[in-house]
Amino acid sequence: MPLAQSSTSVPVVVNDDLCIADKGCTVCVEVCPLDVLRITDMADGRKTAHMEYDECWYCMPCEADCPTGAVKVNLPYLLK
Amino acid sequence: MNNLFEDFNDIEMLAEDLQSTDAGERIMAVIELTDTADPEVIPHLATAIRDQDINVRKQAAIALTDFDGVSTAAALVGALSDEHAEVRQAAAVSLTELKDPDAGDAIIPSLGVDDEFVLVSCLAGIKELRRADAMGPAIEALKHHSASVRCEAVNVIGWLQDKTSLPALRSAAGDNDALVRRAALTALGFNKSDHAEQILVAALTDSDWQVREAAAETLTKSGSAGCVPSLIKLLEDEYWQVRLKAVRTLGKLDARDAATLIGEQMTVPVPNLRKECAAALGVLAVSDTAKFLEPYYDDNDPDVRKNVRWALEKIAHTA
Repeated sequence: MPLAQSSTSVPVVVNDDLCIADKGCTVCVEVCPLDVLRITDMADGRKTAHMEYDECWYCMPCEADCPTGAVKVNLPYLLK
Repeated sequence: MNNLFEDFNDIEMLAEDLQSTDAGERIMAVIELTDTADPEVIPHLATAIRDQDINVRKQAAIALTDFDGVSTAAALVGALSDEHAEVRQAAAVSLTELKDPDAGDAIIPSLGVDDEFVLVSCLAGIKELRRADAMGPAIEALKHHSASVRCEAVNVIGWLQDKTSLPALRSAAGDNDALVRRAALTALGFNKSDHAEQILVAALTDSDWQVREAAAETLTKSGSAGCVPSLIKLLEDEYWQVRLKAVRTLGKLDARDAATLIGEQMTVPVPNLRKECAAALGVLAVSDTAKFLEPYYDDNDPDVRKNVRWALEKIAHTA
């Protein structure tokens, strides 16, 4: 499975300002059936979720279940 | 030995986090309170559903899906009037998950309100609780100007399966909205009486094809030989979905007079309809209908082939 090189080139994008991983939230990581999301430390010491592996079924629970609306899944045009 | 998970189950400690000034911490408190699955957290979630932060309120509304009872229902009914649609919607969904009939105590008083969203949500919530005292408000709601409200009211009446509701369902079967008519006809399925059958037979000529389909389908459960002539006429309907339900019901009612007309439907290029026709012909087992089935012995659709072969066996066995 290829490693994601950039947080903006993958289907699942997390708004770091809204993400509350710092408070202990791991909802998106837990609901991902492919286990491709991870919690990571940012440069300023805060934590955020990100897509570790560039593999996505576009099943959407990460976006739907995020309690702050921080997760956005960019659907390919043909799936919209 | 100390409980290894004692810290995780400390409800009061988690409840204190609901007082945090940080909305993120309050959201996490809601999630962790929910994870305890302990009904004692319901009052705390009922407080959180009135939080100043929309995300906390929404999370609390979602969290209450995991709980039941009158306190849960009261908190959810309150959230149906939240200023944010996301919270209202989450509360409405959670209301439909209630299973404890006592939860109806908190919902029934709201069945008298005029607000369309609250009324639809409360009717949807009370439906599966099957509270007999919901019948009156549900019949009253059939007069509401909103078709969504009337439709949910019919569903409540249908779930109660009370034969005294026949006049209300007859009235709903003549509603000017097709969805309400469909719901009313489906609700009549439990009511095996001449009056109910008259309503269903009359609906077989409805202007909306889905209403005709619903009537034909319901007659599968409650119809009698008296409705066969009307169902035979339905075999000329322009919608194959309607004809399919008519064929199924005619098979169920052992309408041998309809066997030839059902056999003629086998030429239709819709596998689902051919499959249903073959099944009905097998049930009816009229010997001279084998000629309609034989050309489809090797039909491209495996389900059609299976039913055709089974039907031919039945006909041969009967002969």
